[in-house]
Amino acid sequence: MRKLLVLALAALTSLPLLPQESPPARAEEIVRRMDELYRSSTSEALVEMEVVTPEWQRTLRMRAWSRGMKDTFIRILEPKKEEGFATLRIGNEMWNYLPKTAKVLKVPPSMMMSSWMGSDFTNDDLVKEFTFVESYRFEMTTPDAPEPGLVYVKCVPKEGLPIVWGSVVLAVRESDLMPVWEKYYDEKGRLARDIEFKDVRTFGGRRIPATMELVPAAKEGHKTVLRYVEAKFDIPLSPDIFTLRNLQAGR
Amino acid sequence: MLFTMKLAWRNLFRNKRRTLIAGIAIGVGLASMIFTDAITQGMLGQMIKSATAAYLGEGQIHRQGFRLTQEAGLTIDGAAGVVAGLEKDPAVEAFAPRAEGFGMITSPSDVSAVMVVGVDPSRERRLSRVDENIRQGSFFEGSNARDIVIGGDLAGILGVELGDRVVITVSQAGGGDLSQDMFRVSGVYRFGVKEMDEGFAFVRLAKAQEMLGVGDGIHELALKFKDINFATEKNNPFWAQYSVGGNEAVSWAVLLPQLRDVLGLFWISLAFMAVILFGVVAFGIINTLFMSLYERMFEFGVLRAVGTRPSGVRRLIVFEAGALAVLSIVLGTALGVVVTLVVAKTGIDYSGIEFAGTAFYEPLYPALQLRQFVVYPLATLAFTLLIGLYPARVAGQMKVADALRKSL
Amino acid sequence: MIVLKMAFRNIFRQKRRSLFTGLSVVGGFALAVIFIGWSDGSYNSIIDQFTRTRLGHIQIHEKTYLDRPTLYKTFADVPKIGAVLDRTSGVEAWTPRVFSAGLAGAGDQSAGARIIGIDPQREERTTRFEGTIIQGRPFRGPAAREAILGKGLAEILQAKLGDEIVLLSQGADGSIAEDQYQLVGVTSSGDEMTDRIAYYLPLSTAQDFLVLGAKVHEIAVVVSKLGRVQAVSRAIAAGLADPALSVEPWQVFAKSFYDAMKADQAGLWVMLFVIVIIVAVGVLNTVLMSVLERRREYGLLKAVGTRPGGIVRLVVLEVLILSVISMVIGAGLGLGANAFLARHGIRFGSGFTYGGMVFDTMRSEINLRSFTIPAVTVFVSALLVGLFPAIKASRTEPARTMRMH
Repeated sequence: MRKLLVLALAALTSLPLLPQESPPARAEEIVRRMDELYRSSTSEALVEMEVVTPEWQRTLRMRAWSRGMKDTFIRILEPKKEEGFATLRIGNEMWNYLPKTAKVLKVPPSMMMSSWMGSDFTNDDLVKEFTFVESYRFEMTTPDAPEPGLVYVKCVPKEGLPIVWGSVVLAVRESDLMPVWEKYYDEKGRLARDIEFKDVRTFGGRRIPATMELVPAAKEGHKTVLRYVEAKFDIPLSPDIFTLRNLQAGR
Repeated sequence: MLFTMKLAWRNLFRNKRRTLIAGIAIGVGLASMIFTDAITQGMLGQMIKSATAAYLGEGQIHRQGFRLTQEAGLTIDGAAGVVAGLEKDPAVEAFAPRAEGFGMITSPSDVSAVMVVGVDPSRERRLSRVDENIRQGSFFEGSNARDIVIGGDLAGILGVELGDRVVITVSQAGGGDLSQDMFRVSGVYRFGVKEMDEGFAFVRLAKAQEMLGVGDGIHELALKFKDINFATEKNNPFWAQYSVGGNEAVSWAVLLPQLRDVLGLFWISLAFMAVILFGVVAFGIINTLFMSLYERMFEFGVLRAVGTRPSGVRRLIVFEAGALAVLSIVLGTALGVVVTLVVAKTGIDYSGIEFAGTAFYEPLYPALQLRQFVVYPLATLAFTLLIGLYPARVAGQMKVADALRKSL
Repeated sequence: MIVLKMAFRNIFRQKRRSLFTGLSVVGGFALAVIFIGWSDGSYNSIIDQFTRTRLGHIQIHEKTYLDRPTLYKTFADVPKIGAVLDRTSGVEAWTPRVFSAGLAGAGDQSAGARIIGIDPQREERTTRFEGTIIQGRPFRGPAAREAILGKGLAEILQAKLGDEIVLLSQGADGSIAEDQYQLVGVTSSGDEMTDRIAYYLPLSTAQDFLVLGAKVHEIAVVVSKLGRVQAVSRAIAAGLADPALSVEPWQVFAKSFYDAMKADQAGLWVMLFVIVIIVAVGVLNTVLMSVLERRREYGLLKAVGTRPGGIVRLVVLEVLILSVISMVIGAGLGLGANAFLARHGIRFGSGFTYGGMVFDTMRSEINLRSFTIPAVTVFVSALLVGLFPAIKASRTEPARTMRMH
């Protein structure tokens, strides 16, 4: 769950802030806005995640708290079967609370990276602890069929960084620089995944797209949709939230 | 005594043809024993090799506890000293150091769990067969630190080809941070064995050590010995010698107990078959010897008639048997060596017989050993002499008149 | 006809030589029969030992499961398939299984695990699962809330009998699967890597946990005669007539084991070849000697008008008749010995335990080829071997030989 928040943050902060020539100055502004859109020192949100696979479809509702880039606490509220399930991540350690057995299970580092809840997020999203701001080179670009009212930025990761993408293209609204979509390509230029941003709303004073939809290109029939129902940013959070005790509290 | 021996020898060559035929008959028996022994040794060695040569090695050295938990922190104690020891050790043909840890490999389209193994390419080439099974690219030619070599099945799962980017994630020693790095697929291998083709990602040793945060530590030393049977002995002092200072050295028998068990069963099965074979040979010797001696009962009767004592005739016969045995041994050993050497050069290639061939199917090479030229010839000599005692007794005991009347 | 009578008479005239030649063939033939019966029998004994425990001889899966196993590649209708299996001749027992991966935990420890759902009764009957349990006891029933761990996993989790072992995974409907089960047993399968991750559950419990309903991933089948495994496999496939399923014998799903075993086969052919050579040489030896000794006779025969061809026929017939008689006797002895060895086998030393089964006997096997291969090869080699001396005999010059001796 924290991955989704981190994904949101990461996806949008994975754009460079390196100042370059004049078009890049515009690009830089776009990127910086993106970077700051979801970033906060703390946050608390009520989120819905819908996962679609060829074999099943599920929607989870959860409450998530985050502190910095690494500490997160997520509690699932719905559906009934999973109610009470919680995950705590502090730094490099992760625990799950299993409501049915009322037990806490530590997740071994090697397993931290596998897909959580069967969603489409990868370990990339998990380990983006360092800013990718400096990790890409970027420039304004125009795709084959540009839509009116949108501007596009193409970002290419710098050589040598543990980034698996060949390039990322970001499309934002010219008017308010709200992201519309983000496409990840492999080095051969094939689309690997596609994230769409929708429903721009105001949460606690911030305007952000409330919905993010991720579609992996290689896997037929898979989709993950993340929806913010409520969200508060930069609010004071009790440190007690990010403790095992809270995990075991079960509620 | 000497006279009898001379006589025996001369008798033998009086009828060259018969002697030659008999000698060849027994000689073939001896040759087949030598050859079969060599084949059997070759077979058992082959089975060990096929299981260990691909990647595992005939033995391995680890820090104690590593085999169970695979914790990155458990590196070999005093690795430099161990390596130095191995380099000087006359029994070791090759060894390969490895730093390994369980991790994830990501491509743009998928992610997979994998065992990340850092290898020293030149040493690894001499020990394992990954390099021989490279289908695309190479096994760490050049010196690019971002080289990664994966199996064909894994490449398929990840949807990557030669030159594509992947990211490896492992957790560092000390249960700490996750380490990530980018690599480019520089080689794809295929063993035809799913576990190998799916489960491993090879990188350069230094890179793995850096990612795992173990400095210049290594987790595993895979070993290959000059003699394939060296590692089979449980009580070989080698294991104790290298199981010091917190490390443990174990043979393939410990790493693959099923292989050890299968081989044990084969041994028993083969032993019985060898008994059968020897039975056939012994039978042949008895047959041949009896035939040649019984043919000449008349002769021996004449000898008795002219006054040779029974003991003299007995001695003569036994010596003849012995002489024949010596001749047969010479012929047989020569034949055995020649055939075994010839087959050892070409190997027995059986990929066409019975079963469909697999990815790589090694021809069977007989293994010549010194004891084969000592034990079997001596056994043949002893056996022939023993067998010769019976006709000797008959000749000694027969009534002269009966003998003279014998005609075949 | 005359030639036949003469051949017979000759054989019985020189009893000793005939006896020697005959014994040569009897012995060689009998031993060749035993050799093949034993090599086939012990080979199958070894394969049986290693595949019967855990893997089974034949496995049924959804068509693409073996290539890339996933939780979703299941099949249903186990009772229907079971009925087909029970009907197929050669099938001795079968058992269904489910597989998945998850996280197991006890106390502070946790480790990745392979979840294996088994039907306790059927599994015992098919692979003698209970024999692998080194501590504790087997499951009480297919729906018990109990767990059995592999030795290595129990060690890593520091779990004792009676502890609750937590399990976390994902169900086939995408939901989180979490529960805990009481540890009632610890197994040792002989394979360290398996034991380090094995988490066994009773079948229904596993199916509930993984939300699989009545579906399974695999049915393992054990056959009564390993030599027929491929035929039985085809019979099962025909009986099921379901293109969505695949039925594979152990040679397919245990391919690396199969490859290791193949190394054995060629060596045996070589040894058999050697035996045949020895027998042939023995026959050649005696026949040659006998022919050489009887040159005077042949000279006489030629002098009275027998043609060289006739002599060849005579000698060859002698050899063949002798061979046939010896082969019959040899076959009797050999098959008799095989029958004995097939029933009683040979016990070796203390035996050993693998996968819970005590293995201390290897058996021979009675099959057609243990007779046909020696029969054909000995017969043909006797024929060829007889030709050489026969031709030599036919070339004797009457005058010269009659002057001999």
